Amino acid sequence: MSGTSSAWMLVATREVVVRALNKGFLIGLLVNIVMIGGLIGFTSYLEGRTESFDVAVVAGDQAAVTALESAEETATSDDLDVELNLLRVDDATEAEAALEDEAADAWLSSGAGGSGGWTLSGWREPDGTLTALVESTVRDQVMAERADEAGTTVEELTAGSDVETERLDGNPVDPQIVFVAGFVLAFLFFMGAVGSGTMIAGSVIEEKQSRLVEIIATAVPLRQLLVGKIIGSSVIALAQNLLLAGVGLVGASFTDLSAILPAMSATMLWFVVFFTVGFVAVAALYAVAGSLASRTEDLQYTTSPLMMLLLGVYVLTFSADGVLERVLSYLPPASIVSMPVRVLNGDVLWWEPLVSLLILLVTTLGAVLLSERAYRGALMQTGGRVSWKSAMAAERGTTLGA
Amino acid sequence: MSDLEVRDLTRVFVSGDTPRRAVDGVSFTARSGLLTGFVGANGAGKTTTMRMIMGVLAVTSGEVRFGDEPVTRSHRREFGYMPEERGLYPKQPVLDQLVYLARLRGISASAARREVLEHLDRLGLADRAKDHVEKLSLGNQQRVQIVAATMGQPKVLVLDEPFSGLDPAAVDAMVDLLREHTLRGVPVLFSSHQLDLVERLCERLVILGGGRLLADGTPDGLRAQGVTRHRLVLSGDAGFVRGVPGVLAVDVDGPTALVEVDDDAATTRLLSVALERGAVQEFSPVRPTLAQIYREVTA
Repeated sequence: MSGTSSAWMLVATREVVVRALNKGFLIGLLVNIVMIGGLIGFTSYLEGRTESFDVAVVAGDQAAVTALESAEETATSDDLDVELNLLRVDDATEAEAALEDEAADAWLSSGAGGSGGWTLSGWREPDGTLTALVESTVRDQVMAERADEAGTTVEELTAGSDVETERLDGNPVDPQIVFVAGFVLAFLFFMGAVGSGTMIAGSVIEEKQSRLVEIIATAVPLRQLLVGKIIGSSVIALAQNLLLAGVGLVGASFTDLSAILPAMSATMLWFVVFFTVGFVAVAALYAVAGSLASRTEDLQYTTSPLMMLLLGVYVLTFSADGVLERVLSYLPPASIVSMPVRVLNGDVLWWEPLVSLLILLVTTLGAVLLSERAYRGALMQTGGRVSWKSAMAAERGTTLGA
Repeated sequence: MSDLEVRDLTRVFVSGDTPRRAVDGVSFTARSGLLTGFVGANGAGKTTTMRMIMGVLAVTSGEVRFGDEPVTRSHRREFGYMPEERGLYPKQPVLDQLVYLARLRGISASAARREVLEHLDRLGLADRAKDHVEKLSLGNQQRVQIVAATMGQPKVLVLDEPFSGLDPAAVDAMVDLLREHTLRGVPVLFSSHQLDLVERLCERLVILGGGRLLADGTPDGLRAQGVTRHRLVLSGDAGFVRGVPGVLAVDVDGPTALVEVDDDAATTRLLSVALERGAVQEFSPVRPTLAQIYREVTA
């Protein structure tokens, strides 16, 4: 029996190589990477872009000029990525003309000519960022003038009025980001599980339909064939998720998200561990789905219960919160997504992920044992789809299993 | 090398409430160094028997023996097998998958590669080694399958319809290949619908019908068991043979008659009557063809 011990390795290697050379798989992976990269690139482009505004000021409106100059200073000192260009015009008519032919983005008037208060005009609604900047600068300027008139200073007036915020749970992560992370993990889980699951089911039916499995089964025990397939497709699924997560994390380091990267990395690590354990069960069940079919066309039918389960996990986990999330974080396979998200949220005790992982491990073990028996039972039954019940009936099986 | 023996093999399929005995108490031996042909109509139980021999299907009762012990998984690992329905990995190159299958049997990568290339060369497929299997014609796919079955010096060959779909040149190449294995002392069991081919090739013959063993022996032995007919050629009309006791006229055509005679006394009777009526130009036994025997035993 020399060589049998490494049969699963031969099988796993073949699964990995065949999949890695599969054009459809590679194109799909590339599209995903480009999508993630593009999204991150776009975000950081938006963040890094310096907005430039041409603001018109009527000659002689010195207060407006001063306001714009200090606004520009504020923008520079606060790193707002905003640039202001002063456009001097002769009168109001010319200012309006400049707005209409888009020579200027806005026109700032202090109202010193007697026409009332400060006005920031645009041909359409002036840009929000510009408006906010000008508003605060003008307010400061006016307040400073008033304070001066009253014989005091702005600093004296506002002393002690700052409100500081603090978060007592000590977690620096924005709930918004936790939500996004939940979505991303659920997506990675779904993509990885369904993609690689479908692959293993396809690989099983390919061998069953062609009777190749009969040749293979006389050479190696079916158990080893199954183990090899599960390991092979798990390696692919894991590598795919690591790659996508890696691209995402590296990309995120170039954006404002970099502040929460440490917390995010810990979550990713948990996710990888949970996914690795959980996917083994998913792969085993998909292998059974493959063996229950009699032709490739049957796969859609035999894999649909699994698809429903995974879709349910996907939808539930990225939207769950509160008690439901707490429950899901212990319930396989939802725990694969929910527990890492709770880790990111910072509301877990140190032992909670470990307990959840243990539950997942036990469930996976059960699923694999069950699958192994059904797989052996169904694989040699030809002629039509096989039911779980008849797959589990040992007397119909083969003697080549264990 | 050892014989492959099947003892009282039975397989019952249960679908619904009616059990069906697909193979019913079949016993025979595929002897070491001989080609054994396995014939029978569709549904006779050939494939089921072969699948039980290979362990692909569990037996309901009976046993398969190799040499003087019941066959085990480690024996079967050294059996070459070609299943009924053809198929390989369609999208993998010929060489790669044959090496993979050989390595699953425990052959080292380099030895597997060497042997596969040699086999492909012999079957005229050397230049297709890097092609995907789906690009090959059906006949060529079949050659690849036979390579898969015969790699690694198997101790037994069990081949389900290995010749179907092959052109005459490919049949000859395949026969040469199988002969090489019988010369090594390997028992080769193959099923076929082509009776002329089986008659030409086989040293032993096993006929199944309705899941039961109908005949088992050498082609000559089976012919001898069959009813031997005689051809009688006279100078005059042979119509009178219909009236001779102990003689069955199978066919009468002018001066020629094909007859079955019960015993020597009947022969004497027939010939003396014939001589009374004129000259007897020919009286000779007609050996039955395999197709005839097959029809007789399966009737």
